Amino acid sequence: MRVLSKVYMQTIEPKQLWKEALNEIEMNVSPANFSTWFKQTHIIKEEDGVIYLGVQNTFVKEWLMVKYNKLILKSIRNSFEGVRNVEYIITKDVPSGEANVQKIEPVLTNEQFPLHDLYINKEDNLNPRYTFDSFIVGSFNDLAYAASQAVINKPGVAHNPFVVYGQTGLGKTHLIQSTGNQLKKNGAMVFYTSSEKFSLDYASSVLNNQRHAFKEKYRKYDVFIMDDIQFLSKKEGTQEELFHLFNELYENNKQIIFSSDKHHNYIPNVEDRLKTRFSQGITVDIAQPDYESRLMILNTKLKAYSIAVPDDILDYIATNITGSIRELEGILNTISCHAELHKKPLQISDIKEIVRSNARPKKTLDIKEVTKIVSDFYHLDDGVIYKKTRRKEIVKPRQILMYLLREDFGTSFPLIGQKLGGRDHTTVIHACEKIKNDIKKDSVLVQELEQLRTML
Amino acid sequence: MKIECVKEKLKNAVVLADRVTGKNVSLPALKSLVLIAKEKSIVIKATNLEVGVEYEIPARVHREGVTAVPGAVFSSVMSTLYNDEVVTLEVVKDNLFISTKHNSVVVKTESYEDFPLIPRVQGKNKLTIPADKLTDSIKSVWYAASVSDIKPEIASVFIYPDNDDLVLVSTDSFRLAEKKILNIKPGRFDGILIPSKNISDIMRILDGQSGDIQMTFNENQISFSGTGIYITSRLVEGIFPDYRQIVPKEHTTEVAVLEKDFLNALKSSTVFADTFNQITLSVDIAQKTFQVASKNTNIGETATLLPAAINGEDIIMNFNYKYIIESFQSFNSDSVIIRFNGTNKPIVISGLSDKSFLYLVMPMNR
Repeated sequence: MRVLSKVYMQTIEPKQLWKEALNEIEMNVSPANFSTWFKQTHIIKEEDGVIYLGVQNTFVKEWLMVKYNKLILKSIRNSFEGVRNVEYIITKDVPSGEANVQKIEPVLTNEQFPLHDLYINKEDNLNPRYTFDSFIVGSFNDLAYAASQAVINKPGVAHNPFVVYGQTGLGKTHLIQSTGNQLKKNGAMVFYTSSEKFSLDYASSVLNNQRHAFKEKYRKYDVFIMDDIQFLSKKEGTQEELFHLFNELYENNKQIIFSSDKHHNYIPNVEDRLKTRFSQGITVDIAQPDYESRLMILNTKLKAYSIAVPDDILDYIATNITGSIRELEGILNTISCHAELHKKPLQISDIKEIVRSNARPKKTLDIKEVTKIVSDFYHLDDGVIYKKTRRKEIVKPRQILMYLLREDFGTSFPLIGQKLGGRDHTTVIHACEKIKNDIKKDSVLVQELEQLRTML
Repeated sequence: MKIECVKEKLKNAVVLADRVTGKNVSLPALKSLVLIAKEKSIVIKATNLEVGVEYEIPARVHREGVTAVPGAVFSSVMSTLYNDEVVTLEVVKDNLFISTKHNSVVVKTESYEDFPLIPRVQGKNKLTIPADKLTDSIKSVWYAASVSDIKPEIASVFIYPDNDDLVLVSTDSFRLAEKKILNIKPGRFDGILIPSKNISDIMRILDGQSGDIQMTFNENQISFSGTGIYITSRLVEGIFPDYRQIVPKEHTTEVAVLEKDFLNALKSSTVFADTFNQITLSVDIAQKTFQVASKNTNIGETATLLPAAINGEDIIMNFNYKYIIESFQSFNSDSVIIRFNGTNKPIVISGLSDKSFLYLVMPMNR
């Protein structure tokens, strides 16, 4: 029977099932009762023989439970035998299929408050919109997700501090805010701040002679979350304050959570004593999402839009947009706008057009130009960099140039060698390897590379 | 069913309960008041599925029973009974006999089978507030809520704890009213949004109650219970805008004026306000004057100079007088302070001796 009903459930949509049940119910109750109690109900899901019905408020929930439960069960069983029970859940959004018609407000001469919808809780700075419900776990972030769950289960004990790093737009903030919101639900006093706000707060406390209040303020929390710690670079005073705060919180087994856009060891101008402390818990990275994860993200995000996108189009987007999750969102926004505007199903050719104009432009390469920028940066005369010399002040820029050409522009090793004074490709490989290794130790080098990259 | 009870108490309950009967609903049972006579009291129930209310009135019960009568009819009857102190209600077959020493009325009863249950709110969040403070605070803010349903979160009164105080706030994005109930130690909970349509019913029902009101709420529903009364309302799901960032912390001009003077000046300017309800407030530092003026090219114009304590810079700003006048029901102070913060910025009005109320108004843009 179970197997049969499962098969039935697959062939019949839950929506269809509830529609049939409603038809049955309509015949058994008065039209007034039907329109009051049943019209706005909808099915949410079926799970293990329990049907979850969405109702609009507590009045309806209680009345359906007390008065109509038997009738509802009977009506559903008519088309689907495997139902054991019905649960009622209060939901505010009824997916009636009708879009909310926005009324055009009259032109008013009275100015409005610049009220922002985005609400951030002033007590803890957390944005309640970030939850794990909307967090997508894939192979690119499963470690980070697992670590966050361990932190939630044993705050302050499991992984302390918990450091997440990864490129922009991959969901670091979402992850740490969701963790904060979950911990808050479990009753912890949570505080979320960005490193920038923290340092501003510190600066103003120094200015107003309120350093003691500043210390007190942060020490009372059970969970301290700091976003984007890469901006601590060069802020010595803030770093020192953070160091003391860290020790205090850590000793009292308070959970500390950080995020950064690169591994903390590569953040230039951060004191070692902080770096070692960052390392003593768990450090996980969030990588670029792979194809499957991108597809999953697209599917999840699509639910928020009321448009249907065929699988081949999703496949095309997932294959071609390989960057951050934000870019995927951007493409979906564009598509939904286009779909609304043209009022017809989108063709793959339209999508190709949108993706082409929307995708991040690939860097185009002019080796000569790159060479000039690098030479200028290290104050080398024109052409010196091509010369066969092993003087240190020339070798280093040359290696950096090779590294940049390879890493950022994907130029082949032989071509780089040939363009930079006819060198062997192995020389180029060696140069790239060397720089790669040096980055891990030399923060000055990292900084130089960053500056160069912004100039390119 | 047959009972006797004090007429005045029954009348109050019936008239207020009738406010929350369903007016334009498909289910006829919602237009009725349900009467339940049991043990030593009579319970009166009404709901429109947004708000539900239950009154319990002490009564001499001769025969227990349940009935339902159309709310509109019953409340009209009750409010026209004079003279007598005691009223008797008796159901015989399908009729309700309402009788006093001098009157007798018969009302056809309705079926109460379809009348819904009034939910009992389960929730760990509980607050106890003196009834007068609660109604007073609701009265101070509810009128500022948006009347349009487009944004349900501002067509609501937002209630949240702020350390030891409980804060009620509402806005329609043109003005904002904030009232604090000080030092009641509300504990910690996420703020709740009560639809403004419902809260005006709740306010009128609770008005005149004495003693404490216990509020119980979960994420969907709230209830208020006091002596002989129980009200429940749905809550709005949503997030109230972060209004604290728009409350100006500084000001450039400050005017302290007698509340009575200001109100009178506003009233006289309403006569000449244009179709946009526009009035002009101006402060002249050199002349030390505060002026309320309005001008309508078809009717005439008026200007009133008010005695006021002034400091800061000169300023001239235009407002919709309705937004300012409405706030006068909320000040518990003889004098009000108006703080200006430059053109195109909201002004802040508050009572001189009353720190619990704050009112913001946006100027008109010309």
